[in-house]
Amino acid sequence: MRIGHIGLGLAFVAVLASAWTVDEPVPTGPYALHYPASFGGRFTIPADNPTTQEGVYLGRMLFYEPSISSTKTISCASCHQQARAFTDGQALSVGVTGKRTQRNSMSLVNLLWVRQLFWDGRSSSLEEQALVPMAHPDEMGLAPGEAAQVLQKTTSYPALFKRVFGSDTITDARIGKAIAQFERTLISANSPYDQYLEGNYKLTESEQRGLQLFNVAPSMERNVRGGNCAHCHGGPKLYQELFHNNGLEQKATDSGRQGITGLELDHGRFRVPTLRNVALTAPYMHDGRLATLNDVLDHYSEHILASPTLSRELPGHTNGFHLTAGEKTDLIAFLHLFTDSTFINNPKFGNPHLTSLTTKK
Amino acid sequence: MNRQKLIINLTRWLAVFLLIAGLMPINLRAQTVLIISGEVTKPLTLQAADLKAMPHTEVTGNDRDAKEHKYSGIPLSELLKQAGATLGSALRGENLTKYVAIKAIDGYEVIFALAEIDPDFASRVIVLADAVDGAPLPQGVGPYRVVVPGEKKPARWIREVKSIEVRFAK
Repeated sequence: MRIGHIGLGLAFVAVLASAWTVDEPVPTGPYALHYPASFGGRFTIPADNPTTQEGVYLGRMLFYEPSISSTKTISCASCHQQARAFTDGQALSVGVTGKRTQRNSMSLVNLLWVRQLFWDGRSSSLEEQALVPMAHPDEMGLAPGEAAQVLQKTTSYPALFKRVFGSDTITDARIGKAIAQFERTLISANSPYDQYLEGNYKLTESEQRGLQLFNVAPSMERNVRGGNCAHCHGGPKLYQELFHNNGLEQKATDSGRQGITGLELDHGRFRVPTLRNVALTAPYMHDGRLATLNDVLDHYSEHILASPTLSRELPGHTNGFHLTAGEKTDLIAFLHLFTDSTFINNPKFGNPHLTSLTTKK
Repeated sequence: MNRQKLIINLTRWLAVFLLIAGLMPINLRAQTVLIISGEVTKPLTLQAADLKAMPHTEVTGNDRDAKEHKYSGIPLSELLKQAGATLGSALRGENLTKYVAIKAIDGYEVIFALAEIDPDFASRVIVLADAVDGAPLPQGVGPYRVVVPGEKKPARWIREVKSIEVRFAK
């Protein structure tokens, strides 16, 4: 027993040490992505960027690396904090210039399956997506090639890149690839909701009523109450890959997906976000206009505004689903089941630089 | 005096001409409404006028309201034939592993096996409808919607269709 403990302790030290300096062995080999069968295999990992342990290791270092911003103060993790399910708690985010971004920081979860990234779906790969905030003047504010230059001059990064890409030449494309590898590992599948689906969690009465409202489309004729949330936010991953206008405005101040496709029918449409960890990702909507889950339910209940591109699934003519206070309480109880505490506490997703710092002390 | 008038007149005409020329591209700008691509010999980029001019057929089907409606539209087989998909006598062998992915503006996507669309195989005619009960499809449904007569659940009656792609199942 005692020996076992010492063994464990030694293994623990070894794990810490491996994250410590580059000279220590970096884990290598293919990285196995684990997820429930119900999530399905509808994803593609680019053939030129297979997920490897060394790649994920480097990607995580870069995700938490503030030196790839013009002020050396902003990393990906500034606006995507693990404790907040990789959001930042702000309506609009602040980067290197102090100016607010146009849209709310999106939570990073189960990105392996997402086919069109950003609120407007402009990007079709994580590799491409990762470079966008780096280059945005108000986010990380680096011109193309600058991040690569900065990292090339460090003592540790060239060797890490060599391990992953076979060459110590650092390029923006390789930075994007490594970050994409790390992002693919951000899988959340262990919330009470997931456990419920597997038959390992018993819903309370309130949660059970919330589930019913979440899943069911209302029908006046049949006297059925419902919020029909699952139509767009359903399934084990808690989203459908859709772009809808959810009636925040009659004339959208941000044209959303229209800006990408040029289609009038896309006016004011935005990505339907996943509801996974939704209790941790306030404030809500593409511009963070709604501060709490209560506000969100009030919106869908009473404040939906009709417009030519309003989602067909939303009742514009009645301004909402008109839920009672009790129904809202039940729905919010149910929404809290989507919080995956193992995901936000998983040390594999945390700041590796912090680990090495505390280890040194 | 006359010459001055002439110049003024000419300038006016020029202004009118420039105005029209300037407006033309906006008014007559060809907006693509449907793309047919993939395993076809003639990928098509279609405008509303192209689709309007194609042969239409009428089918009836029950929508989500459980009521029967009359839909007018272009048979999917006709669209795919024009794009050069392997239909009819060419739909055999490995071509039977082809499927048709239809995408909507909002990202919704459904598929049909190519054989489900071929009139040699299927007795029902799946159409890309542009009218219901004599009126254009309403906003949010149209301008184009797939209608599958006889299908019990209209989940593949995909609304706001924007693209049709033929693919091999690999």
